[in-house]
Amino acid sequence: MEIDELIYTGCLLQDAREFNAWLELTAPELTYRIQAYSPEIRRAMTWLEHDRAGLAALFELTPKHHVDHAQWHRHASLYKLRVDDDRAQALTSLVVHHTLVDVGDTHRDSGSTRLFAVGRYRDQFRLHQGRWLLSDRTVELDTRQLGIGSHTIV
Amino acid sequence: MTRDRESTWGRRLGGDSLAYVDSQIYTDPALFERELERIWGRSWLMVLHESELPEPFDFRTTTIAREPVIVLRGEDGVVRAFLNKCPHRGSLLLREPAGNLRQASPSGGPRHITCMFHAWQFDAAGQCTSIPRRKAGYQDRLTCAQVTLREVACEVAYGGFVWLHLAPNPAPLRDYVGEAFDALLPHLASEPLEIFHHHKTVVRTNYKLWHETNSEFYHDYMHHFNRVTSMQQPGYFDRRYDAYPNGHVTISSMVVKYTAYEHGERSLADSRELSFPGLEPNGWKLLDLFPGTAVNLRGSALRIDTMTPLSVDEVLIEFRGLGLKRDTPEERARRVRDHNTIWGPFGRNLPEDLLGVVNQGLAMRPHGEPLNLLHAREEGRSIHDEHGVRAYYHEWSRRMDHALAAE
Repeated sequence: MEIDELIYTGCLLQDAREFNAWLELTAPELTYRIQAYSPEIRRAMTWLEHDRAGLAALFELTPKHHVDHAQWHRHASLYKLRVDDDRAQALTSLVVHHTLVDVGDTHRDSGSTRLFAVGRYRDQFRLHQGRWLLSDRTVELDTRQLGIGSHTIV
Repeated sequence: MTRDRESTWGRRLGGDSLAYVDSQIYTDPALFERELERIWGRSWLMVLHESELPEPFDFRTTTIAREPVIVLRGEDGVVRAFLNKCPHRGSLLLREPAGNLRQASPSGGPRHITCMFHAWQFDAAGQCTSIPRRKAGYQDRLTCAQVTLREVACEVAYGGFVWLHLAPNPAPLRDYVGEAFDALLPHLASEPLEIFHHHKTVVRTNYKLWHETNSEFYHDYMHHFNRVTSMQQPGYFDRRYDAYPNGHVTISSMVVKYTAYEHGERSLADSRELSFPGLEPNGWKLLDLFPGTAVNLRGSALRIDTMTPLSVDEVLIEFRGLGLKRDTPEERARRVRDHNTIWGPFGRNLPEDLLGVVNQGLAMRPHGEPLNLLHAREEGRSIHDEHGVRAYYHEWSRRMDHALAAE
C-alpha cells in the first residue's frame, strides 16, 4: 500500500469505527497526539497523546462510556509527501464532518451534517518488510470549539 | 395515561417534604435578564489567571453580563480591567482574545490601546492620551484629561486568579469569598501557578445546570471513570459538603484510585507522586463559587470552569488547566496528560458531563411544560447529598428576590 492510500484507508477505517484495523496500519512505536494552539493563552496545547498500546486501551474502553454516535466523515487531502529511503513524512489537510445521530435535538437534527473540525495530519512513516506503517501522527486542529468534545480520535 | 398518573406528573415528587425548584428558573427569559443584572453584574467573578498576562502590556479580553472587558497588565505590573469600549463612539477597542500592547496597531503607536475607528488612544492605566485633531474639532470643550476608560473593579488573589466585579465600588473580594477558599488555598497559593490548558464550548443549556453538575456527585452514575476510580473506593461516601455565605460550597478531600480504571495505570498511575503543595497524592478537593465558577483540584491537575451566560438557554463555558510554574518539562507533560485524559475535549469525563446538561437543556426549553425538580437528597451532607445545590439556590433566591427556588 502506498503512503497516500495508507492515509486514505486510515480515514475510511476510522470513519467505520474499525479502530483496531486502523492500528494494523501503524508501527509498534506509534505516537499519536492531538494538538491545538490557543490564541487565548498564547500556548500550544496537547489535548490527547497516546502510544500504540494506549490507543488500543482507549478503543477498548470507549464503549463503556456514553458516547456521541454521530457518523464521522474524514476528508483528507495529501498536500506534501517526502520519501527518504525507508522513511517518509506527509502533510495532509483534514476536514471532519459529523452526521448527527443522538446528540442535540435528535428529532430535529438527526441526519443533519455539521462541521466538526478542520486541521492537518503531520505524519511520519517507516518502511517495514516492504510495507509502509504510520509511526507518528500529530493532528493539528485549527478548530478549538468542539461542542461536547469526543471520545473518538480524529 | 390514567387520571391518577396525569395528576401525579404535575405534583411535586414527595409532596412538601422534599426540596425542589421550579424548572422555570432555567427557562424564563425574563428571569435570565434579572440574573444578569442582580447576580452576574453584582458578583466577584474569577475570569482568568495572572499567568495569562505574564508581561507588562499583556492583555486578555472577555465579557461579563454582555459587557466587553479588557484585562491588562500595566507597565507597573499591576493588573487592571476596563470596559472594552471607546467612550467616543462606543466602538470595541481590542478585538483579539489576547495580545501585548507593545505591538503598534494600524491606527496608533505601541504601548497604547488605540480605537481603530477614530484613533483615540489610551494608556495602559486607561487614561486618554491622544484625540486626533482635538483642538480643531473640540477647541477647549474637550481635553484628554477629561476622557478615561471605565475601570472595572479588579483583584488578583487566591492563587493568582484575576477577579472582576462590574458594579462600581464593590465590597472587597475577601468579604465575598469569606472562608470558602480556606481548604484549597494552602495548595494553590504557596507557590505560583501557571496555565497550560484552555478550551471553551457554547452549550445549549441554562448556566445553572452546569453549576449543578459541578455541585452534586449523585451524577457519578453517569461516568464509568468515576464509578471505578471513586464511587467503588473507600472514603467516597465520607466526603462532605460545606456551605458558606454568598452561595459558595466546598467538598472535602478523598484519594482517587486511578489504577482502578482499566488501563488507567498506563496514563495516570505514574502521576501518583505528582501533586500540588500540601495535597496528598491523588487527592481531590473542589470549590464551587457562586454564581458559576468551579475550582477542581484533582491529583496533579487543577481545573477551573468559568461561565458566561449568553441567554436563558445558552452558556459559554471555559475550561482551564493549571500546574505549578516551576514544573519541569516532564512534570508539566504529566499534568497535561492527566488533566486531558479526564477533562480535555477528548477526555473520558467532560463529553459525558456536557452531554448530560445538553440533555437537560433539550428537555427544559423556554415556554415548555414546567417541572418541579428535586434537589432533595439528604445524607448527612455526604457526597450524594444535594446540600450544595440547595445552598446555591438559597443564595440565588435571596439575590433574585424570587421564591420559586428550594427552601
